[in-house]
Amino acid sequence: MSQATATTAPETKLWGGGRSPFNVSYGKIMMWFFLLSDSFTFGALLISYGTTRFFSAAWPDANQVFKSFPFLEGQNLPLLFVSLMTFILIMSSVTMVLAVHAGHYGDKQGVIKWMLWTIVGGICFLSCQAWEWTHLHSEGAWWGSFINAPVESFRHFFDHHKTTEAALAAHGSQATHDFYNYFFTITGFHGAHVTSGVIFNILILINTVNGTYERRGHYEMVEKVGLYWHFVDLVWVFVFTCFYLL
Amino acid sequence: MSQHHNQNEIQHYYEGDQSKLYSGIMAHHTDLNSPESKKQVGRIWKVFWILLVVTVTEVILGMFFSHEMPKALVAFFFLALTILKAGYIVAIFMHLGDEIKSFLITVLIPLTLFIWFIIAFLADGGFWLFMNSTSPTR
Repeated sequence: MSQATATTAPETKLWGGGRSPFNVSYGKIMMWFFLLSDSFTFGALLISYGTTRFFSAAWPDANQVFKSFPFLEGQNLPLLFVSLMTFILIMSSVTMVLAVHAGHYGDKQGVIKWMLWTIVGGICFLSCQAWEWTHLHSEGAWWGSFINAPVESFRHFFDHHKTTEAALAAHGSQATHDFYNYFFTITGFHGAHVTSGVIFNILILINTVNGTYERRGHYEMVEKVGLYWHFVDLVWVFVFTCFYLL
Repeated sequence: MSQHHNQNEIQHYYEGDQSKLYSGIMAHHTDLNSPESKKQVGRIWKVFWILLVVTVTEVILGMFFSHEMPKALVAFFFLALTILKAGYIVAIFMHLGDEIKSFLITVLIPLTLFIWFIIAFLADGGFWLFMNSTSPTR
């Protein structure tokens, strides 16, 4: 009984011991702190991308680089494909939070249903990214590409109204090289997070189906992988802005 | 209640059923069709629509208007909308808005370092370009 009263103690006794002062379990606090450290890793990558862009006299234009769509080759559809990718990831974040919600209510079937949709969303996103990488690779882009490349090979990545031929000749090769190094590194690092997130989601789904969390009495593991999954979505929001919009 | 028993209880709360440590929204519920549950689900879908509308706005801005507007204004719009989206994801989807204030502050304070990082590094990049483009050797 004494414990029961301790867990519902008034605010003044938050740090009095015998309870979590944050009202959060150890595992979830550590997930938050891991995500905090991960946000600095992504932040460092994106800020160094920004720094490189700021000291470059020319820079590829997103509307020129990202204008293709599967099965619609040759058409000018800027940002359309990445919008689809963003929509898929936001949607999978919604299904994840619905799985967490079902978990709060101990609804096993609900958790299974929404986790499945989340995994499907994650796999769709990764497939989209695979297509985009393959497409850019077919245009000659990869890590370390466009070093001392002729202007003809990268002119189509730039906006003709903003970049002069002189700037293109002087800085275009270096800028395209930098742009793609950062693009593949950062979207690759994000894609690795999505991949591990999908794997975690599959493991949690298997545990849910097997009734592990039902026996345990709570679905906190769903919340923990949920935090990770939402973080992946959160990072994409920033990657989307930095690479495709700005 | 003996001290020994008490210790076991504490141990159980931390390593056994951790969900007993929750309060408020994180607490155990049973009725999935309760008004409270419906309200939560409604909130989730509302945030989904906000995120969708903001993203569509960003894409339209990026496709058609970003080249005609001043660069600084475009950057301001995109960053403001990005922060807005990030705020909704963290507060509602990650339930940080439902945690107690001290935890919220613990997570958010380290992130304020980013304000300095961004200003310092981008200013450095800009200065580097300025030095190079005015250098007589180039």
